Amino acid sequence: MKQFVIFVALFALPLVGWSDDFANKATPLLSKYCCECHGEKTQKGGVEVHQLNSADAALRHHRFLENIAKQVESGDMPPDDEDLLPTDAERKLLADEIKSTLKKLETGDFPRNPGRATVRRLNRNEYNNTVRDLFGVDFLPGRDFPSDGAGGEGFDNVGDALFVQPSLTEKYLAASKKIIGSIYDDPQRLASVIFAKPNEKMPPDKAARTVLLTHASLAFRRRVTDEDLAPLLALFGKKLAAGASYEEALRPSLQSLLLHPSFLFRIEADQPGRSEWKVDDFELATRLSYFLWASMPDRRLLKLADEGKLSAPATLRTEALRMINDPRSETLSRHFAGQWLGFEDVRDIAQPDAKRFPTFTQSLRVSMYRESVEFFNYLVRANRPARELIQSDYTFVNAELAQHYGIAGVEGTQLQRIALADANRGGVIGQAAILTATSMPLRTSPVKRGKWILDTLLGTPPPPPPPDAGVLPGDDKSTAGLSFRETLEVHRTKASCAGCHEKIDPLGFGLENFDAIGRWRTKDANGKPVDSLATLPGDITFSSPKELKDLLLSSDELFMRNLARKMLAYALGRPLEYYDEPVVTDLVAKLRKDNLKMQTLILSIIESPPFQNRSAKR
Amino acid sequence: MANIQTQNWLLPRRSFLRGAGATLALPFLDAMRPLMAASTSSSLPVRLALLYMPNGVRQDRWTPAGDGSGFKLSPILSPLEKHRQDLLILTGLQNKASFSGDGHYVKTGGWLTGTTITKTTGSDIAAGGVSMDQLAAQQIGQRTKLPSLELGTEAVATGIDTNVNYTRLYASHISWKTSTVPLPCEINPRVAFDRLFRTRSKGGEKQATDDKSVLDLILVDTKRLQSKLGDADKNKLEQYLESVREVERRIEAEANLLGAGENLPPEILKQMDALDKRISKAMGKASREEELNSMPRFDHGEHCRIMMDLMVLAFWSDSTRVSSFMFGNDVTGRNFSFLEGVNGGHHDLSHHSNNGSKLDQYEKINRWHVEQYAYMLDRMKGIKEGEGNLLDNSMVAFGSPIRDGNSHDPKNVPIVVAGGGKAGLKTGKHIVYEPGTPLCSLWISMLETAGGKASNFGDATDGLRGIS
Repeated sequence: MKQFVIFVALFALPLVGWSDDFANKATPLLSKYCCECHGEKTQKGGVEVHQLNSADAALRHHRFLENIAKQVESGDMPPDDEDLLPTDAERKLLADEIKSTLKKLETGDFPRNPGRATVRRLNRNEYNNTVRDLFGVDFLPGRDFPSDGAGGEGFDNVGDALFVQPSLTEKYLAASKKIIGSIYDDPQRLASVIFAKPNEKMPPDKAARTVLLTHASLAFRRRVTDEDLAPLLALFGKKLAAGASYEEALRPSLQSLLLHPSFLFRIEADQPGRSEWKVDDFELATRLSYFLWASMPDRRLLKLADEGKLSAPATLRTEALRMINDPRSETLSRHFAGQWLGFEDVRDIAQPDAKRFPTFTQSLRVSMYRESVEFFNYLVRANRPARELIQSDYTFVNAELAQHYGIAGVEGTQLQRIALADANRGGVIGQAAILTATSMPLRTSPVKRGKWILDTLLGTPPPPPPPDAGVLPGDDKSTAGLSFRETLEVHRTKASCAGCHEKIDPLGFGLENFDAIGRWRTKDANGKPVDSLATLPGDITFSSPKELKDLLLSSDELFMRNLARKMLAYALGRPLEYYDEPVVTDLVAKLRKDNLKMQTLILSIIESPPFQNRSAKR
Repeated sequence: MANIQTQNWLLPRRSFLRGAGATLALPFLDAMRPLMAASTSSSLPVRLALLYMPNGVRQDRWTPAGDGSGFKLSPILSPLEKHRQDLLILTGLQNKASFSGDGHYVKTGGWLTGTTITKTTGSDIAAGGVSMDQLAAQQIGQRTKLPSLELGTEAVATGIDTNVNYTRLYASHISWKTSTVPLPCEINPRVAFDRLFRTRSKGGEKQATDDKSVLDLILVDTKRLQSKLGDADKNKLEQYLESVREVERRIEAEANLLGAGENLPPEILKQMDALDKRISKAMGKASREEELNSMPRFDHGEHCRIMMDLMVLAFWSDSTRVSSFMFGNDVTGRNFSFLEGVNGGHHDLSHHSNNGSKLDQYEKINRWHVEQYAYMLDRMKGIKEGEGNLLDNSMVAFGSPIRDGNSHDPKNVPIVVAGGGKAGLKTGKHIVYEPGTPLCSLWISMLETAGGKASNFGDATDGLRGIS
């Protein structure tokens, strides 16, 4: 009888619970030793462990696992002054259990899922590009749309963060009117849009059907149904009956294409009864074109999709390469790299003080931005190795930017690729856009620059400062006899600050030879020699940007993984989930196998399961 | 014009949409006095404005000395001296829902909702509730051209704050139409101006008919598509449906206005014209088209004052009765070096570490904001309405969801309400509440004073005592 009860009880347990080593071994230790400071109520250092109550939960909330294992193993956590400390055996048990979860995460040893992006509204840039490609309108009608918020890995193409509010809808309405109006104002363009006209053989409703069928399929990026067409034709018919000319009668129908949910949103169909499926060829064409062009698929892609050929691996590859070599792929640089690396911020957000930096003109601002855009664009187009993001022996400058960098012999306003003699300048770390965006209005910020390297480049953000941390003076001129660096050193003698800042600040100190707008300097704002000697924990020292870049390249796994992760997130337009981790591992492996070539990364993303599939559940 | 006497703005929506000669959103002006024989000043519309200052205050220079009507204004509040009879300075309030989470995003996102935002870098963005201005928009805003107006000076902050793992979007929104739909601030004064006041006299009505048939088609098709989607996707299209409906409603309202003849009296038209010119001058662009399409980049003070004048004019012309305004987004790096004696950004200086020089600069930035607030009150007081002035029929709140910026202290938040004397507020007082009194009680009182209803809001179950 007793055995029977146990037997029944076993069946009553959920399957995952039953052989869940994590829940049995790790969770009790976490709740005993960690939850007081890192639980539901308080999350010191932003770290929380209370959700880690099963193997499944550990996979889902994997963000802190690696850190926890390290801290527990090294004995840094729990802090020595706690009353309750784990034994060595307990430390090992916990760390091992976490490591085995991390291993699973890396290899994909769990039920996989291609993921599911929420329906995406076209963001402001995509809207502009799409109407340009749809109707040849290039006056950026979406310029006055509110800027889009970001989600997931920090990109503005994440469906969850793209809202539709009445004020935006009003702007869509106004823009649609303006766009269609500009077509009607130009007889030549109107003739190309309204390419079928009624004649003896073709009654008006038939001609209108031809016109609307074409533009609706382009606008909706799919085959159009009779259900789609009927209301558009009815609207046309109503206007015609009210006495409008054929062209005028088509106007509201054409305008409604631009307000249609199938145009404004990227809708992917569900397949009832299935848990996951391959997206159809039209959906694939749309995923491809918004990834590489931030715009709609062109006619060639739609034709291939219509013929059901696009998803054939060889065709997909050929098309992807064709698209990479099309000028439209510059959006990868502008929007993907611009948001990831943050050089987008130099366009508007960065505000160097005008009095302190009189050479920072609007045209220099634009040149800085263009340098970073051209650089990344070149990496992709010329299929350069990804390590050149860290160190390159070339960059792109015009006369103004060359002068800013102290490089002689460059003329004109057009940016051009030049060889760099100085190994300190190459790669994104030496680009003025990024150096400016990570500075304060009046001074450099070693902390911001250090954080940029840890967070943006390597994907390992430092924890938030405690609320009362305080800040440094906004200006680096004359701080009571101390150099700015000395002030900073004093600041981080506080124990609560030192733990993190000894890892952050040295990275920025090594870049102190670059001033707040990215010029090379040997003296600081007070006329003292720049002290760029940096020592990281573990006695790693360096004293120049070149040496820092060498260090970053000598162990580049974090960087490559972060690059792959960011680009995957941008391509998918959704936050990455734990089940994407093995995909990232795979992308890095493919990248390494092919000499880190940028196009290999892009193609591998396009060929990856989450890019080609969709699941019923997130 | 007979229906002016019957206060047609109270008619249910359906009837005025059909309504021949309806006079929706007519402003209440002295010129119309004789026609409004039956009305008293208490029937004038009550307006609601919520002015948001990011990054907290220098706490030892905020609270007035003494309470009741004998208070002495603090250094930061001193620019309000001439309005002291119109003020309610409220000490001791807090939004309990903002205590957890991080230092800024939770405070900003939940200021007007009284709820805790969802901690997220992207998926499931939610405030947890509707903001009080949007509740007012639902309840009293449906009687005007725009149910509400959201203005600001800085673009929506994009990206993720990886330090604390919140999307920066939360720092840029105080108005939430629903728990999951934040309303972005319009930052371009030209766009806001046109949205409020563009005249649609030229072919206006014909255009409105076309717009309506286009939008009708979109409504039907969106519903059709929606039925085929999963839940999260359905919700996105629901947002679209809602906003298309709202645009439609607005177009109808504008058509009705036209039907009644643009009845705006000369004083308002004159002011409108002046503001129109001022916007052009401030933006310094060659054409209106360029103004519409550009990112405003001009003097921050002028930018704020123009936005405030837009609110004043929108209230005066009864184009809207509810407005929020963000002086800046939270964690903003805006450089305030344009102020004498200030050298740095607002957020940076708010983390003053009790350093004297930084505290002084922080205080100067705070006082500057209060000066702008005083400017708006000045303007409203200068506009006659009924027996009093526009401010008497408006409640204009100014505050921040943080007290001391250095420690992100969410207790005893800085908050002042001005005006509303003719709407039932008993002003001219500094009231010190028991610590922990819900800020949401104030939101309830303001909603009720404006003619709305909210028995429960956030952590409050009733209004604030002693203010009405």
